[in-house]
Amino acid sequence: MDDSPVTRRRFILGAVLACSVIAEPRGWLPGNVAWADTPADPALIRLVRLLFPHAGLADGAYADVAHILFTSFASNPETGQLLDLAGSALDAQVDADWLDADEDSQISAIRNIEGEAFFAAILAGVRGTFYYHPKVWTHLNYPGSSKEHGGYKHRGFNDISWLPEVK
Amino acid sequence: MAKQYALNDDSVVVVIGSGAGGGTVANELAQKGIDVVCLEAGSRLTLADVENNPPVMDAKMGWHDKRIGAFLWVCKTVGGTTMRWSGVTPRLQKHEFQALSTYGQIDAGTSLIDWPIKLDELAPYYEKAEKKMGVSGTHGIPPSEETNNYKVFKAGAKLAGYKQVTSERMAINPVARDGRPGCQQLSFCHAGCAIGAKWSTLYTEIPKAELSGHFELRANAMAVRISHNKAGKVTGVVYRDNDGDLHEQKARAVCVAGNVVETARILLNSNSALFPQGLANSSGQVGRNYMRHTFGAALAVMPKPVNQHRGARQTGILYDEQIHDSSRGFAGGYQLQAIGGDPHTWSGTIGGWGREHTIFLDNYTSLAGLFITGEDPPEASNRISLHATERDDNGLPVPVIEYRNHANTDAMRDHAISASRRIYDSLGATHFWGGDAPVGCHNMGVARMSANPKDGVTNRWGQTHDISNLFISDGSVFSSSGAGNPTLTIVALAIRQADHIAERMNQKTL
Repeated sequence: MDDSPVTRRRFILGAVLACSVIAEPRGWLPGNVAWADTPADPALIRLVRLLFPHAGLADGAYADVAHILFTSFASNPETGQLLDLAGSALDAQVDADWLDADEDSQISAIRNIEGEAFFAAILAGVRGTFYYHPKVWTHLNYPGSSKEHGGYKHRGFNDISWLPEVK
Repeated sequence: MAKQYALNDDSVVVVIGSGAGGGTVANELAQKGIDVVCLEAGSRLTLADVENNPPVMDAKMGWHDKRIGAFLWVCKTVGGTTMRWSGVTPRLQKHEFQALSTYGQIDAGTSLIDWPIKLDELAPYYEKAEKKMGVSGTHGIPPSEETNNYKVFKAGAKLAGYKQVTSERMAINPVARDGRPGCQQLSFCHAGCAIGAKWSTLYTEIPKAELSGHFELRANAMAVRISHNKAGKVTGVVYRDNDGDLHEQKARAVCVAGNVVETARILLNSNSALFPQGLANSSGQVGRNYMRHTFGAALAVMPKPVNQHRGARQTGILYDEQIHDSSRGFAGGYQLQAIGGDPHTWSGTIGGWGREHTIFLDNYTSLAGLFITGEDPPEASNRISLHATERDDNGLPVPVIEYRNHANTDAMRDHAISASRRIYDSLGATHFWGGDAPVGCHNMGVARMSANPKDGVTNRWGQTHDISNLFISDGSVFSSSGAGNPTLTIVALAIRQADHIAERMNQKTL
């Protein structure tokens, strides 16, 4: 893909027009998934980390989530185009490759587009993928399904011991 | 055992919906020997189908037909939203039945009325509903066991000066009862109780009705239209089966319990030359006065571990603020209730992203959480209507759900969030979040009971003012919302309605 500024601007204009189509289920053309065109796209991984920055959570978890998200979104032209839109919009915010910007600029760029419908869709997708991922659960000490363990009836549902006595 | 009725058998009562309202009124009628066909849009799961996996269970039992507007978190499955509910079962309070008399009309946009019944009249049916559902702390049933999250809530509330905090009034067996086990504290109540300790009509009312020999459940039967005769009486229900084929079950009377949106939709969609505005809608009130409570949530990072994810999702109610005290700056009251959640639930509830978001999830094991539910005033402009052109996969007009928070609701939520912050601060919380939680799981109004037929759709029995053999059996009949979770009141009203229907049949007036 031609990365010249002119092409990028044209792409952004196309993105704005496409946005107005989001409310309409029909009218989508097959998406040009140009931005996150490999499952481990570093920009997508970076975006996931900045959205949910858990210190100490290994890069592998973020790469996994980015991969699942990409696979899910790219499987459908409508959602695939959302990734295009986000990538273009982020690049436009820093007027360069967003991935090369410093962290503060990257975060500012996200803040500036967070009101867009495509961003809301991507954020919901990342949230759902990320906070259901086993590696994330392990990091947060969330154990998941309990019925095979008999629930918490005998595993600490009422074991808190630091509270003051109250009547 | 379970019966089968012919489509042209016009002696049956057809009940649309198998959840708290529909499942209950159907079983109550069947127990009296009245033949019932229950149409349920969703499929019939068994306990073996219930996994501790919210997205998987949402795919199995969530309502996903196209809707436009405000989101509702409700179910399409046998048992309806009793599969997903938390089981919190407070009664409405005396003053909440007399909302207009107690609060006065709030402003020109609100449409408050008093219920045509009072607490005294419903009290005996609350008793029956509590026995039926096995509500903890009533009728000799012990209180629910106190979870970690509840203990934090109670201690903080007491330190903040509150008095009325209880772990009673959950329709989850604390101990084995009525053929169902005691709670094992699985923590996945919202994804269906895998052991059946939480009351759901799927494994209580429905099988009991089948055993009566006067009941047939038709699952995967989407009701699309209620038919009527020239005299203006309803005569049957047209439904669509899994193959897309339409059938009509004839009926002596029809009870509609579609969890508000579907109730309004089928009434409006059954319009005709005789009823051009839809059934039971001479007042123009069908679909209007949609209420969904003042909702909110609070989340705090406590100084030490809580493990709020262990145990029943909700245990515990604070009643102190469920009063009308206009000095607080709003009409009506609210409850605070302990609530737990998995990482995704809390992430989605607090919303947002970045470090100010992850500070909460980074401290997942030290979180404590509250749910806010309070009275929201009815407004005619909060309504369910049918889209003029859009059709869903069943060929039905897509429902349009308009709901905006009234200023009274926003003021109440702000007050509740401040109260929640005091509760957690009293125990040294290090971070606090409080905000809106537009879940859409308490749905009320749209076919409300009214003394004056011009103000509503049904009378004191949930019988429509316009059509004597058409009844509304879900939360649609609420004249006002009250503060607490609506299911117990829905069940009490359904039991009472079944008594009324049986009496009318005995008198040959139905």
